[in-house]
This record gives sequence, structure tokens and C-alpha cells, in this order.
Amino acid sequence: MESLSLLEEIRFGYGPLAGTTPSPGGLEPDRVLAQLTATDTAAAAWDRPLLADRYTLIAAYIDANKARKASKDTAKPPKDENDPRIKIKQMEHLDVASFVARPAVATLGFVERLVNFWANRITVAGNVDHYVQSFRDEAIRPNIAGRYADMLKATLWHPAMQNYLSQTGSIGPDSPIGQLKNKGLNENLAREFLELHSMGHGYTQTDVTEFAKLLAGMSQDEKGRKVDKKRAEPGDKHILGATYTEGIEQIDAFVEVVAHRQETADAVAFFMARHFIADAPPADLVTALSAAYLANDTELVPVYRTMLEHPLASDVIRTKIRSPQEYLVASLRLLGMDGQEKGLLGFPQANMMLNVRLTSMGQPTYKPLRPDGWPEVAAGWMTPPMMAARIDWAVDISRAMGDQASPVDLVDFAMGDLATPLLRRAVGGAEQRWEGLAVLIASPDFSRR
Amino acid sequence: MAHDLLVSRRAFLIGCSIAASPLLTPVTFAAAPGENRLVVIVLRGAMDGLDVVRPVGDPAYAALRPTLAAVAGLPLTDFFHLHPAAAGLMPLWKAGELGFAHAVATPYRSGRSHFVGQDALENGTGAADGNETASRDGWLNRALSLMPNTAPDTAVAVGQQRLLILDGSHETDHWFPVEQSPLSAQAQDLLTAVNTADPMFSQPYTEAQHLMRNLNGEAAPKGGVAYGQLGTYVAERLMGASRIASFSFGGWDTHRTQEKTMAEQLTGLTDALLAMKTGLGKAWGTTLVVAMTEFGRTARENGTAGTDHGTGGMAVLAGGALKGGKVFGTWPGLADANLLQQRDLMPTGDVRAYPAWALRAMFGVDAAGLQSTVFPGLDLGRDPGILL
Repeated sequence: MESLSLLEEIRFGYGPLAGTTPSPGGLEPDRVLAQLTATDTAAAAWDRPLLADRYTLIAAYIDANKARKASKDTAKPPKDENDPRIKIKQMEHLDVASFVARPAVATLGFVERLVNFWANRITVAGNVDHYVQSFRDEAIRPNIAGRYADMLKATLWHPAMQNYLSQTGSIGPDSPIGQLKNKGLNENLAREFLELHSMGHGYTQTDVTEFAKLLAGMSQDEKGRKVDKKRAEPGDKHILGATYTEGIEQIDAFVEVVAHRQETADAVAFFMARHFIADAPPADLVTALSAAYLANDTELVPVYRTMLEHPLASDVIRTKIRSPQEYLVASLRLLGMDGQEKGLLGFPQANMMLNVRLTSMGQPTYKPLRPDGWPEVAAGWMTPPMMAARIDWAVDISRAMGDQASPVDLVDFAMGDLATPLLRRAVGGAEQRWEGLAVLIASPDFSRR
Repeated sequence: MAHDLLVSRRAFLIGCSIAASPLLTPVTFAAAPGENRLVVIVLRGAMDGLDVVRPVGDPAYAALRPTLAAVAGLPLTDFFHLHPAAAGLMPLWKAGELGFAHAVATPYRSGRSHFVGQDALENGTGAADGNETASRDGWLNRALSLMPNTAPDTAVAVGQQRLLILDGSHETDHWFPVEQSPLSAQAQDLLTAVNTADPMFSQPYTEAQHLMRNLNGEAAPKGGVAYGQLGTYVAERLMGASRIASFSFGGWDTHRTQEKTMAEQLTGLTDALLAMKTGLGKAWGTTLVVAMTEFGRTARENGTAGTDHGTGGMAVLAGGALKGGKVFGTWPGLADANLLQQRDLMPTGDVRAYPAWALRAMFGVDAAGLQSTVFPGLDLGRDPGILL
């Protein structure tokens, strides 16, 4: 596997990894795309439990709680590492840690960036802590080099999404249970699917309500997908000018139609160009990406190739700002760390508490403020308090690690020819090594990609 | 890649954006304008006004809200009851320091998107499709440009996040406690050199340094802060040079089990308002708080004991400057025929009129500026009389 060039690592990955040698030169689309079919053993060390294992653990957790209540045992449980309550806490802790640690050690930076981009585009968050990780690993990751239509199906049905956008409990008002219990629809998922995950515009409130009727009664668990006849709204649903009845195949058919709409193609193109290339991407790039998407049955790899072949993809001027996660990970990769180090000078003894850092920079792990995900433009990350948090991180990590290498060498390794002469002078002009490193990591150059 | 190419292109980029950098435009420092204070809270997620101030006197209300109406509220008037979780605000109501503007909305009508709705609310646009004005800035920023004697810290955004409502060409302050930097003065100078040379970083970097130097012993929070704390921060700013403050308050998107979520949200809002009253002391008497949301929620409960996105909403008004103890606005009624599209509370007033009248009375912004620059297309209408 040929390593990426510096420009490729910075724009399409998480920055160069200490101990590796970036390929010379600029951007070669084939080299970047080759990552999509390669294996990343370093990242695999951070594979997290899949949904089936999570169900088992959560069932054991519920049983343990029931047993404790039944026994009227009010004493604190012993610290048994096999206790499901402790195992669940460990699982959550490692899920959150993997948000930083996995890309920090990954050799396939483009793959990790894509997973993160799509998981942000189609967001789940908040009260679904146990399943967010599985959503990323099982609904997003297997589909980043496939058809967008399939990613839409996988994400629509995943239990994390069902829960996050309140689909669980949405019942057809004319279904048997709806009639019996006087229950009705919740149109949250139907609306956000159309607004955020696919078209963005071009549908009406009636389309939203009719789509919510089509989705009523859907669920996915260990046994697979199903639509519960007792909860499904009977009768025809008229959505976007076509008629649907009920059931899994009808939902799939509608998702296929939506995935192939011009509005969806334009949205996919715009969001991808905005994430990787520019806050305000040029129209010719968006048009080209949208056309590649529609010409290839919603396949994403041709869209990536079109983006990589656009002149702006290899422009040496970097106009995008790294998100807090990208920024934190890039600095760990520069220093050869995974964020799990203990006992670092100036950090809490047991844990670097990186999630507190991300929170201060504006990006608490897996908890975006809105269902349209984290900001994808610089303005969302550059408030004065967030800037202060970046500087604070740069200073702290440099004090802990900055006496081990020449900061000027690290400028060369991190950015090579892409570094401005001013940065080189400033880093070289610091009186202490660690302060030189702090200037590097807190510089605009290092935040740009 | 040649450095020269990079440098010259970068220099070109810098040259282009000089005009937009507020640091390079002359700033008039003057005394803060008077004792009047305005706080604008952006309630994100669409607050259900029908649950916060319940129209129990409307014959259709109880049937529309079987679950949500089950726990009794606190009587404000014969017609409206307050959600029980906001009980801490009753003393304000009785003192005339709390009021509400019901059945109000922004002009956004073409959809029920949170994101279009919030941008429209903060931009102040008059467009029914929610499209922002060409300037794509915040209405509170544009209002500042029409006020005499403002300084860069006359208006302050409090909190970590960006606030569109205060973004724009008029320089404003941003405040939140952060960590101090232990860099030596020499390294600090180097860091300042690289950051101020970059047009995108220069201003936020300088403001971040300002924050780091002016903490006055305030410790940086580890993680998020409670809304009560945010209210205290706001009061501190307003006791200093600032006269206008804004902050963001999320979490109002109550699609399911609304009873629980609404109670938590209203506890937070109560904490924030009471913390401001306490922190402002005597200055509370000349303060108005306006809390606005992007739209309201469906008149009917949905299938999951919550509510979906609607249209007509509600603004919360508070402060010693308020002529409160009143629910402002025109009640449209909840009968099916009175609802918008048989689902939403019908908006009978433009929510923008309330901050507009406040800007006029408290900061002397004239009607022409309000109806064209600050809130394009706004018809100020009759003075609702919200101020003493």
C-alpha cells in the first residue's frame, strides 16, 4: 500500500502519521481511492462491538438491574469486571475514545474521513449512546464505497436512527393499535430523512405526512427488518407523485426513488464538496459531482473520483478549517500518540480526558447539537472560546511532548512545502522546543486543510 | 511547489479580505449608551408555546392535548395557565416582570425546517421561504449599526457557539470563560504573529487572547455549563460595558415524552432568568429579556406524547423594564377551522415586532431603520406596549 502524499494526508486524511514517510508529489486520485479497498490493521485494533453484542450486553444489564431490585439489595454492587453494569460503562468509554484513537492510528486516513463525513451528514446522537457507534460501524462504514441508496436504507432502519428521530412509537392512526389506543404518527424521521438525509427541498408537508404513514410500524432488531401490521397505516400513500401501499419493499422502493432524485444528487454533491474542498464550493464542482452520482446509479466512488480530479482538490491553498476532532487527531498523529497515554505531564493521571478538550473546542463526542450534524464551515469552529480551547490544547500537549523532537523538523513533517515561511520562522524562533511546537499546533497553518 | 507561488497567492487572499476585517477599520470608543439593557435568547428546536402558556380557556385545548394537559398548570389569567415546571417564574409574573407574546411567528411559512427557521429568526428576514437577506448577517448586528455611541463590547454573545444573530460587519464581543495560557511572552508574540497574519484567524485569535487575559478569576468549565450559570455570565457582562447580550438555548424539539423534556427545559429557562435578575440587581429594573424560537409546534399531540413542527409560536418576555403580567397578542382560537392547515396554531402577529419596539424604545432605533434594515418587510403596527 503506497502511502499518501502530504497534500493527500492533509486534505483527504487526518494528517501525516509519525513514523511513516509520505509519498512525494501532489494529488493522485488512484492512490487515494486505493484506500477504499485496502485493509487497515492498525485501525482494526479499535473495532468496536457490533449491534448483536450490544443487544446481549444490554439485555444482561437489564436482567442484572431487575435481579437487584427483586432481591431488595440496596448495598453497592461489588466491583466485578464481569458485571454488565461495569462492562457497559467500559464499552461507552471505549466507544467515545475510538472517535479520536481510531483515526489517530489509522493508515487509511481517507476511509476514516469518509466514515466521519457521512456519519455527520446522516446524524444520530444524544440519548442513543449505546448504538451511535454501531450506527457508524454498521450503517455508514460498510456503505462508504457503495451506493448512496443503500446507505440511506441502512441508516433509515438502524435502531439508533429509529430512536434518535422518534420513529419508535409512531403508529398509523387507522392501524389496529392506533384505533385501539387512539395513537398516531410521529413525523420527525419522515421529515428529516427528506430534509437532511436526501432531497433538502422539493417536497411538501403532505409528502412528509404520507411518508410518515408509510414508515409507521417499521423496526429492525436481531431478526432483521419488519413492518408490524398492527401498527402500519393501511391504505395507499401518495408521496412525491407516486402511490405506495405498505411493507418493507414499498419503503425500499420509495428510498430508491428519493435517492435517484436530482435534489438528492445535488445535496450529496454540495455537502461532499463543502466538506472536503471549500466552505462555498464552486458551482462547476457541485454540478460535476451531482452528474457523476446520477450517471452511476448513486454509486459514491465515481463521485469521489470526480472530486479528486477537480483542480481545487490539488490546490496548495488550503481554505478549509479542521473540525476539533480532525485537529486533535492530526496533532496526535504528528506526535505518534493515540490519546490513551497515561501520566503525561500536566494531564490527569489516568486519562488525557480528550472528550473535555473536544467539548471546549465545540465538538463533544457523538453529541452534535442538531440533527443536521456538526458545522461543516469555518465559522462554526472559530468563536473566540473555541479558538482559546485550541490554543490551550496546543500549549498543554506541547508541554507534555515537546522536548522530544525539533519543532522545525515537525513543521517539515506536518506540512513540508505547504508551510508558510512565516510559520517556519516563528517556530524556529521560539526559545524552548516545547514552545516552538505550541506555536506550530496553534498556528492557522496547522488548523487548515 | 514553490514557496513564492504560495506566498503571492496568500498575499492576494489577504489583500482581498482587508476591507472586511473589523480590526482594520477605525472603531469609535464611547461611553456605553445609557442604562437600558436588552437580552435576546434564541430558543433552538421550536418551543411548544401551547404547552408553556396553556390556553385552558379555549374549548378545543383539552381534546387536542390529552396527555400534556393532564398535569394542571398555574393560573396566569382565567384563560391561560403556566406550565407547572415554570413555577419559579410566578413571582416575576405577579411583579409584572414576566409576560408572553402568543400566536406569533417569523414570516417563514414555506416549510417547517429547524435550520431554515433558526437562520430566518436570527437573520431577521421577511421572506416567506426563509431565505436570508443578501447580507446574511444577524438582525441584532444590523440594529447596532443604527445606534449612536456603540463600542465593540456594547453587544456580547455569551457561550461557546457561534451566534448568527450577532454576526455581521459591526464589531461585537464574545464571552465565555477559557483557560489562561502559560506561554512565555516571547512565544506568545510568535503565536500572535502567525495568527494575525492569517485573515481568517486574525479576529477570532485576537478575541480569544482578549478572553484569556480578562478572566477576572473566572474558571473555565470542564465540559458544558448549566443555563443558570449562563444567566450569571450574561448579568456580569451587562454590569460591565455591555448593554446587549444574546445566548443560545437548545433542546426544545419535543417530539416524544414532552412532559419530561419540557419540565427540564423550563427549569433551565427559569434558572437562567432568575440568575440574570439576581446578577443584575438594581439594573434588572431597566432590563428587557426577549426569548424567541424558530416556530411553534402542532396544536395536536402526536402519537408519541409529543408534538411535531408547527407554525404559530410564542415569545417569552421578562425584566424590570417590562410592563408584564400580561399575555400579549391576538388569540386565534384552536378550533379546527382556526388552525393553519388544520394542524398549527395560526400566527396572528410577527414575532419581530416585539424586539423591534424594544429597540426603538430602549436604544432609539427609528421606525424606518427597523422596518427596512433590521427587519425587512416588518410592519411595526400598533405599539404592543411591552415597556413601562
